Amino acid sequence: MARNAVHSALFLISSLVSVAALFVLARAEFIAGVQILVYVGGVMVLFLFVIMLVNVGAEERGAEEIFNNQRQVTASLIFCLLLVGGMLYSINIGYGGLQARRKTTPETVAAQEAIRDQAHAPSATGSSRITRDTENVGNSLYRYASLPFEIASVLLLVAIIGSVMLARTLKQEAAADDVDPGVAE
Amino acid sequence: MLSFFNILLLQEAESRFALMKQAAMNPDLSKFLVIGALLFIIGVAGVLTRRNIIVIFMSIELILNAANLNFIAFSRYLSETNADNALAGQIFTVFVIVVAAAEAAIGLGIVIALYRNKETIWVDEIDLLKW
Repeated sequence: MARNAVHSALFLISSLVSVAALFVLARAEFIAGVQILVYVGGVMVLFLFVIMLVNVGAEERGAEEIFNNQRQVTASLIFCLLLVGGMLYSINIGYGGLQARRKTTPETVAAQEAIRDQAHAPSATGSSRITRDTENVGNSLYRYASLPFEIASVLLLVAIIGSVMLARTLKQEAAADDVDPGVAE
Repeated sequence: MLSFFNILLLQEAESRFALMKQAAMNPDLSKFLVIGALLFIIGVAGVLTRRNIIVIFMSIELILNAANLNFIAFSRYLSETNADNALAGQIFTVFVIVVAAAEAAIGLGIVIALYRNKETIWVDEIDLLKW
């Protein structure tokens, strides 16, 4: 159990990298790269910075037990048990349906993918082949989802401006309201 | 007699190992879904039990990642069945990552503003709206 928030962040980084490896296993290499770049390189660094900024005064409560509130633990246990039960139930029902719908076996899929891989260009060292996943994702992204893509860019702009507005100090806010003497003349 | 059983067990273990190796080379949909569900449950447990607001945010990231894993798993499953919109899952994952990044930036901005006003990051001490 990691009581220290920095340890939690480091463990989360390792699990994000593992999920990126699962993406590679599922032949989503572009998404795996985005996961590493955005999550591990961006979001988690932001988290670590904020932990360093904010966690200074949290030391005196950092040593207390994690599961010390009985009601909270009971509620979360009940909720998680419900989720586990729902998961087992839905796997039980859904897996048969998926298997029935699927006409291919894992062996034929592997053979198909081997044939598909042979069509890819070999890399410079010749030890591996270059995937076309990025090209395919880009094509689909701009063909089917160009409007959501633009909306996402607006969302990111709003998030940038909003976080800057939220994070500035009172002194900076007061300074922003001041009229520049050079302009007032 | 004993060695006979041993051989049986060894063969059993070898065939099991071959099956496991084949399964690891061709992961099917259900394994991804189980891992995604487990990640989701771990994230929910983190949100419900932890009181450090930053750790709660990190648990939310874990939940979003579980959803991403499910999207990718179904995208792979659809591409196996040669569906024409098989890459929709990957595109959706891109958008989920974008929204998660925006959410993290805004949330951490709120955390910093909160810390400046209340000097705490423990959610049980932030009870201004509690009646």
